[in-house]
Formats: sequence, C-alpha cells, structure tokens
Amino acid sequence: MRRFRMPPQVVRLVLLTLGIVASYGAMRMVLKPDSFGEYGHYRGAALGEALQHDPVFAGAKACTECHEEVFTQRDQHEHRRISCETCHGPARDHARNPDVKLAGFPPLGCLRCHSQDAGRPATQKQVDLKDHFEGKCLDCHLPHNPKESPP
Amino acid sequence: MSRSLSRRSLLGLLGGAAGWLMARPTAQAAKAVVKNALVRTGAPPDYDPFQHKWLMCFDIDRCIGCGLCVDACKNENHVPEASTYFRTWIERYIIKKPKPGSGQARGEVIVDSPNGGRDGFPPSLVPREEILKSFFVPKLCNLCEHSPCVQVCPVGATFDTPDGAVLVDPHYCIGCGFCIQACPYGCRFLNPVTHTAEKCTLCYHRISRGLKPACVEICPTQARIFGDLKHPVENDPVQEFIRKNKVQTLKPHLGTDPRVCYANMDKEVR
Repeated sequence: MRRFRMPPQVVRLVLLTLGIVASYGAMRMVLKPDSFGEYGHYRGAALGEALQHDPVFAGAKACTECHEEVFTQRDQHEHRRISCETCHGPARDHARNPDVKLAGFPPLGCLRCHSQDAGRPATQKQVDLKDHFEGKCLDCHLPHNPKESPP
Repeated sequence: MSRSLSRRSLLGLLGGAAGWLMARPTAQAAKAVVKNALVRTGAPPDYDPFQHKWLMCFDIDRCIGCGLCVDACKNENHVPEASTYFRTWIERYIIKKPKPGSGQARGEVIVDSPNGGRDGFPPSLVPREEILKSFFVPKLCNLCEHSPCVQVCPVGATFDTPDGAVLVDPHYCIGCGFCIQACPYGCRFLNPVTHTAEKCTLCYHRISRGLKPACVEICPTQARIFGDLKHPVENDPVQEFIRKNKVQTLKPHLGTDPRVCYANMDKEVR
C-alpha cells in the first residue's frame, strides 16, 4: 500500500495561509494600541486624553473663593442666576493669578440679552434703545442689582 | 519541490518572527513614554466613566438668543474661528403669519443663524407685525443612543463613552468625513488644521473635573439644563426639567434615539 503524501500545492496553500495569519497576528500585536477594546471598539485611552484639555472658564465656585461679598449682593436680585463669567469673561487665568485682568463685558454689553427681538420670551426684559435712554446702561443700572441706580 | 518551498516559508516565518521580536520592545517603550506623559498632565485620575451618565436638555422658551454659549464654546474648546465651524450654535426660527384667506394656520418659516448666533442676532428683516411667532433653538450633538456617526466610522475613532458622551479620538481619526455626512443633525465638522472630525464633547474635560460644560455655565437664562442621571442631586435640574415639561427629541423618525431633550419645541424645528 502506498503511503499517502500531501499534494505539494496543498502544503503550499497551508503554509501560505499560516504565514498570512501569523504575520497578521504579529502586526496586530505590535500595531494595536494597548487600550483598544477596553470599553468597546475604540481606544480606551482616548477617554483619558479627552480629559487632558485645560478648562478656560473657571466656574462660579472659583469666584466665590475671593468675591463672596459680590455673591451675597447679587443673590438678592434679578441677576442672581447668572454666572459671573457670562458677563465678565473666562476667568481661569484670573483665578490662578489675580493680577491677570478679565476680558470684561461681551460686545454689545447689556443689549446682548436685553435688546428687543420677537424671538425672546415675554418674561425677558427687553428695551428699544430709541424709546429707552441714549446714555450708558451703567448710568442708571447697577449690574449686580439692576433695579438700583449707582449712587 | 515541497521541501525547498517549505524551507523558504520557514525562513520567511523566522525572519518575520525575528523582526517582530525586535520591533516589540521599541513599540512598548514608545507606548510607555506616551502613557507617562498623559499621567503627568494634571487630569483627574480618579474619574470613572462608569459612575456617570450625563445629559443635556433645552428649554426653548427660555433661550433668548444672546449667543454667549456659542462664544463660550469656541473659547473653551478652541473651535476654529471661521463661521462654518461650531460645536454648538443657535438658530432663530421666524414663523410668519399666514396670508389672509389662505386657509393655513401658519405662514412661511424662516430660519437664520448668522455666525451661529455667536455675535447675537441682528433685528430680523421681517417686520414685527408679519411675525406669527419666533423663537431660538440651541443645537448641539444630540447624543444619540444609536449614533449613525459611530456606526459609519471605518477605524473606530468615534465612540459612545460609558458616561453618555460621543467622542472623537483625534489620534485615530483619518479624516474621511463619513461621520460628518452621517450625522443627521449637522453636528460635526472637519477641523481645518488637524484634518480630523470634531464635535461637541459635552466639555468632557470640564464635567470630569466637576464643572458644568462651558455653554451651560455661561447661559444666563438656564435654557440649557445639564446633569448626571446616575447621581441626581437634590432638586436635580434634569429630573425636574423632565418632570415639569413635555419633552421631545429632534428627528425622532430617524431612529437615532437622541438623548438630548427639548421642551416647548414647535413642529417646525428640524
């Protein structure tokens, strides 16, 4: 009885397949980031990298550390729910080093929120400058207590 | 014949294995360097994405269209300045009165968003007496449960995080733009500098530090409501908002199942 010999083309095919699978495995081990698949079909480390970015707005809590008295004043009036940085601009640099000045009021100042627009809800106080007053808002309104006039 | 061939493949295999053995320590050393660099830059190390589920909601009746949120977002996330790149933006809807005798309930709908609303809105060109109603709609990533953008990404560069954000991995993104086409809400853009897709991250770097997203922090009328569904605080704003309002989502017929809720939304809003 003749011994069975694997036909050479089959051997070649098997070796080729093994070679492809092995090189794929080797490449995958080297190229695949460690954290890929940690949470899903993505690089888990990307979550950590997204956290690295440094905030620009400090948040109202940072302001309370030094400006407590402004909060107590503001908290009794209409603007109590507005964050400091809404009007005063991003405060991270100022919170770290008080010598750095804040950017200040947004362009258009008070009118940014209080100009007339049909899209604004009726509860929002809106003024038409022509009928209201031609001078500066701050001549008559204290921003932290808008119903009061400056002394 | 078969012997000579098997020797060749054996040699090939051996060469491949040797190359891999030589390359592996280098690759691992490079990875370690990157990891150390990440640990050194004071990000919160104890933040566990599985302990949170963030959500943002909008009350359209409260939005006054000041556009400070758009400006804050650009500042906070260094979004490109040009007026075509936004992670969040505001649209002004103006619904005109119907023509007399037309038998319609409402007239033409005009939507505008000059510079995304970043500089506020100029007075509309439609005279007030012709306006039936008008309102502002803030837009951002809708945080879909079944995100089309995640499904189309060919390299796994965009993903739903366990805590409810949809992020882009800028080191993995190849800038093919499929996700930008796939997003039915137009919330993504290709960064002209990095050539990678970008979108709202819910200010991931802020929420993980216990801060609110920049747009929420800055909103003067609390039109944006943000909270953690897994750790509701006392009088939690999100829970309160959903309890008090009839909420709906944008384009529900698409089956993307957005998690971002809108209250007091008109049917014209798309």
